[in-house]
Amino acid sequence: MAVRVIVGLLLIVAAFGSAGRRLLMLYRLGRTAQPVEPGRIRVGAAQLRGEAAEVLGQRKLLTWTVPGTAHLLTFWGFLILGLTLIEGFGALVDRDFHIPWIGTQPWLGFLEDFFAVAVLLAVAVFAGIRLRHRPAREGTRSRFFGSHLGGAWLILFMIFNVIWTLLLYRGAQINTGNFPYENGAFASAAVARVLAPLGATANDVIETAGLLLALGVVLGFLVIVVHSKHLHIFTAVPNVRLSRRPRALGALQPVRSGGKPVDFDDPGEDDVIGRGAIEDFTWKGMLDFASCTECGRCQSQCPAWNTGKPLSPKLLIMSLRDHALAKAPYLLAGDDHANVDALALAEAQRPLVGDDGVITPDVLWSCTTCGACVEQCPVDIEHVDHIVDMRRYQVVMEASFPREAAVLLRNLEHAGDPWGRGAPARLEWTAKLDFPVRVLGDGETLPEDAEYLFWVGCAGAFDERATRTSRAVAELLHTAGVEFVVLGSGETCTGDPARRLGNELLFQELARQNVQTLTSAGVRKIVTTCAHCFNSLGNEYPQLGGDFEVVHHTQLLSRLLAEGRLTPVRPVEATVTYHDPCYLGRHNRVFAAPRDLLGSVAGVRLTEPDRTRERSFCCGAGGARMWLEEPLGTRINENRTDELIATGAEVVAAACPYCIDMLADGVAQRAAEGVTVTDVADVLLRSVRQPEEAS
Amino acid sequence: MKIVVLVKYVPEPTATWTFADDHTLDRQSVEGRLSELDEYAVEQALRLAETVPGAHVGYLTMGPARAVEGLRKALAMGGDDAVHVLDDALHGSDAVATSLVLAAALRRIGFDLVLCGMASTDAEMSVVPVMIADRLGLPAVTQAAAVSTDGSSVTVRRDTDEATEELAAPLPALVSVTDRSGDVRLPSFRTIVAAKKKPVATWSVADLGIAPEQVGAAGAATVVRAARPRPAREAGTVITDDGDAAVHLADFLAANKLL
Repeated sequence: MAVRVIVGLLLIVAAFGSAGRRLLMLYRLGRTAQPVEPGRIRVGAAQLRGEAAEVLGQRKLLTWTVPGTAHLLTFWGFLILGLTLIEGFGALVDRDFHIPWIGTQPWLGFLEDFFAVAVLLAVAVFAGIRLRHRPAREGTRSRFFGSHLGGAWLILFMIFNVIWTLLLYRGAQINTGNFPYENGAFASAAVARVLAPLGATANDVIETAGLLLALGVVLGFLVIVVHSKHLHIFTAVPNVRLSRRPRALGALQPVRSGGKPVDFDDPGEDDVIGRGAIEDFTWKGMLDFASCTECGRCQSQCPAWNTGKPLSPKLLIMSLRDHALAKAPYLLAGDDHANVDALALAEAQRPLVGDDGVITPDVLWSCTTCGACVEQCPVDIEHVDHIVDMRRYQVVMEASFPREAAVLLRNLEHAGDPWGRGAPARLEWTAKLDFPVRVLGDGETLPEDAEYLFWVGCAGAFDERATRTSRAVAELLHTAGVEFVVLGSGETCTGDPARRLGNELLFQELARQNVQTLTSAGVRKIVTTCAHCFNSLGNEYPQLGGDFEVVHHTQLLSRLLAEGRLTPVRPVEATVTYHDPCYLGRHNRVFAAPRDLLGSVAGVRLTEPDRTRERSFCCGAGGARMWLEEPLGTRINENRTDELIATGAEVVAAACPYCIDMLADGVAQRAAEGVTVTDVADVLLRSVRQPEEAS
Repeated sequence: MKIVVLVKYVPEPTATWTFADDHTLDRQSVEGRLSELDEYAVEQALRLAETVPGAHVGYLTMGPARAVEGLRKALAMGGDDAVHVLDDALHGSDAVATSLVLAAALRRIGFDLVLCGMASTDAEMSVVPVMIADRLGLPAVTQAAAVSTDGSSVTVRRDTDEATEELAAPLPALVSVTDRSGDVRLPSFRTIVAAKKKPVATWSVADLGIAPEQVGAAGAATVVRAARPRPAREAGTVITDDGDAAVHLADFLAANKLL
């Protein structure tokens, strides 16, 4: 027994000492970061539900059935096998130890053994997945490309070691009569049968040696975990708890400097807009970096990565984490850097973004902010927020951005729209309508009888294809007897492209002007055809005091159909596929309305592309990418267009002007005969119009 | 070295312009901006200042009260201070009067180099720079695509249809730059914040020793008798191709005597 106690204690002291030092360093590193937004700390029902669903229920992992199930078994396995740790440490001092009250009941023995076997199976599944999808075989298509492969195999090997050493000493315990369970522990019993012929003395030795070995493995594993990407087993729980609910999509976060909101009317001289160094991130950001398990689910869905661009959300987060750790000695040294080692000093000199920086400009500017990474991440890392925060610093503090963006920013600043057409041209789209569109004049308030303000948007007013959608929606609303007005020259860009490009100053200017216009006009309800306007107006304008009820035209039209105010009369004989715009679907969860709308039209045969709904693939235009060149890799819109054409559809329907432009360009590029790209409203209009007036 | 950039606050080109009763542009009812072509002059001044230690960049404008926004925009891009010549008497000034006022202001400010854009984006006359140079007896190099200085002279590259010229002039001198002279910087947050504290002086014509009747509509050599908005551009003809589009197109071109 003395051996057990002494060796056991030595192991415990060594492991806890090493792991503790590391955790203390990580904690202090987190303390060098910025404060989090006050809302993060709040514990509400949403946070608890998130924790229950995503940690205990493994919801996001289970969207991938096989690896998800294997992870669920491993996760619950480690929770349950925590009990064997209590038993193991107890057995160091008392050979016949068992957990009080329930510690001898067969069901507990069974449960422990069940999960031991389940974890063993899961490890085999993980190994199989890693072999099948190894980067050596699949190249950049592998979600593990760029992950620490050796580290991952070591973790699997350690889990395997934890389980076999556990079963070994439990088997021996049965043979020496020191096992807590008389029956139920089927796997331990099987091992016992193998060990029994070795005799009493051998089993006695195996029991002690196995126990010490098992605890040594677990403690060694602990040390490995805190030094590796497997740290997620500790950080994922708080990270999920502190993440934005229901998800870190939709609105971008207001700019804060040193934890306080920035007053853009009178900014402080020391205010930092965005993140220009690793310590500019909040400690939740640091926790994000520490939580990344390098699983690559984000990478597998990323439109940039899938078209050969250098951005992978996983590699981006890993780069930030590696940089934070490499710079840590510098950051932890406070103001006296005399004793900081040379490597950390060199790391501290590296710019966060730059050609020789932690993140290269090509990586930063490749993001379409589609949110596929955030959607996938099982530990709720907020990739898009981090990317936009880094863009904010580059644009606002450094005035550094792709050259082409200058044209967009100038047009937005001076003309109020990305094309530079200017406010006076904003009503040109109405010219071809055979009924007058009511326009709210400067300083007028919304008339009593007007239910909706139709927010036309810049594309809806100036883009050739999008003006067709504007007219279709206007005509449908007119047919349904919905009274609406437009702002005409009183409208200006919502600021979405400026904000997603990182130009928060310009966004603030445009958005405040719009909030002022809408509020003083007494607008309550807004309908818009642009998924980006929809997102900005509904999700971001409340940050500026603009509270409006914003609906997307697909939502309003499907409601009008349900109420019988619109009646599709003419069948539209066509195979139609629907492309979920990121800012309508993933960011705002509007999946049903456009599909209901298409489903209401007789003759329409709806087919879904492979990547659909939450996993829809971006058209390539989000995040202001619409206005930037795409010189790297292949084109995102062509990748998506190929998939949509492959459904065999004659009509590709979308519900966002940017998507329609990108996909129509893709169809033209592929010279796909007989495929048209249009808005869902256009399909409905064809059916609602009487045959004789159809054009 | 002291560089002064002449800048103009102009009506936004994409906005709807209206005319007041006296046929001058109604500046109150239209959004304005720092003339886009002047931004290139600001950019070149800031780039030159980066090459000359201790260089000072100032801005000079003449215009209504809101014109100070143009100066603030220029100061947000960089530079040190600005002068705004503001006087009701200036309303309706022509190019001759403008050059008189700006030349007097430049004399008062003092300078080694005057930089300006190739034209304003509203009046588009391109004459004010050379008029000022004449009044001040300065060498004037216009339409520069590149500018450099060694502190005692200025060297300019000028691209014409026939040749690329390199011209040099001793300082003090006046240079106007084209929109090909280099990308204009976006003001950064720090320079925007800093710009709010940079001094902007406001001078009247009296401060410059100019009599009110020498400037404004009263002093103008020409009179605008009428100003009518141009009719909106008519929509073009769209030919839908039913197999005979080429014929229609040829007919159209022939009818307009283009063939």
